[in-house]
Amino acid sequence: MSAQETPVKRINHGESPILSFENVSKRYGTLQALDQVTLTVNRGEVVCLIGPSGSGKSTALRCANALETLDSGRVLFEGKEVRADDNRNARQVRRRMGMVFQNFELFPHLTVLKNVTIGLTTVLKLDEAAADKRALTLLAKVGLSDKASAHAANLSGGQQQRVAIARALAMEPALMLFDEPTSALDPETIGEVLSVMKALADEGMTMVVVTHEMDFARRVGNWVVVFDKGRVIEQGPPRQIFEAATVPRTREFLNHLGWHGESKIEPAREPKQ
Amino acid sequence: MAIDLSPFANSWPFLLKAVALTVFISAMSMLLGFVLGVVVGALRTYGGRFFDIVLGFYVDTMRSIPLLVILIWIYFAFPLVIGASVDVTSAAIVGLGLHLGAYMAETIRAGLTSVRRGQMAAALALGMSHTQAIRTIILPQALIRMLPSLGSLFVFAIKDSAIASVIAVPELLRQTQVVAGNTYRPFELYTAAMIVYFLLCFPVARGVDWIYRRVAHLGSS
Ligand SMILES: Nc1ncnc2c1ncn2[C@@H]1O[C@H](COP(=O)(O)OP(=O)(O)OP(=O)(O)O)[C@@H](O)[C@H]1O
Ligand SMILES: [Mg+2]
Repeated sequence: MSAQETPVKRINHGESPILSFENVSKRYGTLQALDQVTLTVNRGEVVCLIGPSGSGKSTALRCANALETLDSGRVLFEGKEVRADDNRNARQVRRRMGMVFQNFELFPHLTVLKNVTIGLTTVLKLDEAAADKRALTLLAKVGLSDKASAHAANLSGGQQQRVAIARALAMEPALMLFDEPTSALDPETIGEVLSVMKALADEGMTMVVVTHEMDFARRVGNWVVVFDKGRVIEQGPPRQIFEAATVPRTREFLNHLGWHGESKIEPAREPKQ
Repeated sequence: MAIDLSPFANSWPFLLKAVALTVFISAMSMLLGFVLGVVVGALRTYGGRFFDIVLGFYVDTMRSIPLLVILIWIYFAFPLVIGASVDVTSAAIVGLGLHLGAYMAETIRAGLTSVRRGQMAAALALGMSHTQAIRTIILPQALIRMLPSLGSLFVFAIKDSAIASVIAVPELLRQTQVVAGNTYRPFELYTAAMIVYFLLCFPVARGVDWIYRRVAHLGSS
């Protein structure tokens, strides 16, 4: 527990956290996917979840997004308990959270524009014109205005992921969840996605990012949470985790990743319009 | 054997009406079968154990009973249950539609389950309800993927409509039999019927293939 009583100040404007996990446990059969996980995310923070494969990072995001029921503990979002077993509650929670997946999960039968507007028209009941307008603004923001009428299959991985980010942003979420957003990408397109994410962070978007991009976690993250075997083994500001980890298992994991200081983040994009 | 086309000169309006009825019965049973197939396929996939078992029973019975027997039962036995006679055309449409619906349901269920799970997660993550996610995201992809199979089922709907001749629905085969009996020209009439069935089915099969080639890429997530 000592790692959680860190003296370093986190971003906190005197408000209660936007998202918090209180002793959350989740089992799949005999496998303890999450074991007494406690963590908080404050408004405006970028919290990075790192840790070995199978350590429970995705499960944590799925619990936050009401896609999994808990065995014990609570998840609070904007002061209210997240309940995956209550459809109304789950939909309200998801409407306020954006989620970006490792495999993009663009809708292949829809154009890029429709991928971004479908949530607006079906969930928020915006009319077509208003939805298109908002979608085009967001596509411009991720640098893909010219792809509005393309289909996902004709985009590169990096472009697809940027559309997926625009799709999530269109709902004007209070919190964005990213589950290894660059793990399925070719090395040459990782940078463009990370740049978009960094720009988003710079605008003050609250983000929870599961990532193996240690450089991103170190430079963009405000808080890093290390998972291992379903538990949070250490958490703290990036500098502490990357340069002075107190838990040997954290250092072992970082060494194993071949953690080095090379930057993949492109310079910030030209501001749009 | 001399070919005599005079039966057509006299009876073409009668036969044309029969072709129209064949088209009507086929189209209506396709529609009924399709709606049933979507509802049953979706409920069996997403509706939980209860619907899966109950509707599984419907699918299995329909697939285990010959269409001919179903039509005869609806026309001759069902009226005894409800205490009123049924109109032959309606009986044919209902029988064909129920039968086709079972096969459609299985096809659509296979399509729905083939769509990657992440697509549902992505739709739910936008705040959609399960119903909205199925309707706008999963089902369209499933239908695109299953288009070739659905196309064959549509062709079956046209071909199987001929079975309705046994309950005296005045469709193409039945009316061809009538004219053939009156004119003693079975060769000409049955050959003509064969050609008409081919002309009805072939464009459907080819047309669906044509559409599929153009949209297949939209269904691969
Ligand atoms: N639906 C499920 N049913 C059964 N086991 C599951 C399920 N989802 C996840 N698990 C298991 O739970 C454990 C934690 O999985 P999770 O996906 O959260 O790990 P992760 O940290 O995201 O790993 P990765 O880096 O590989 O994505 C893993 O052992 C995984 O196999
Ligand atoms: Mg994962």
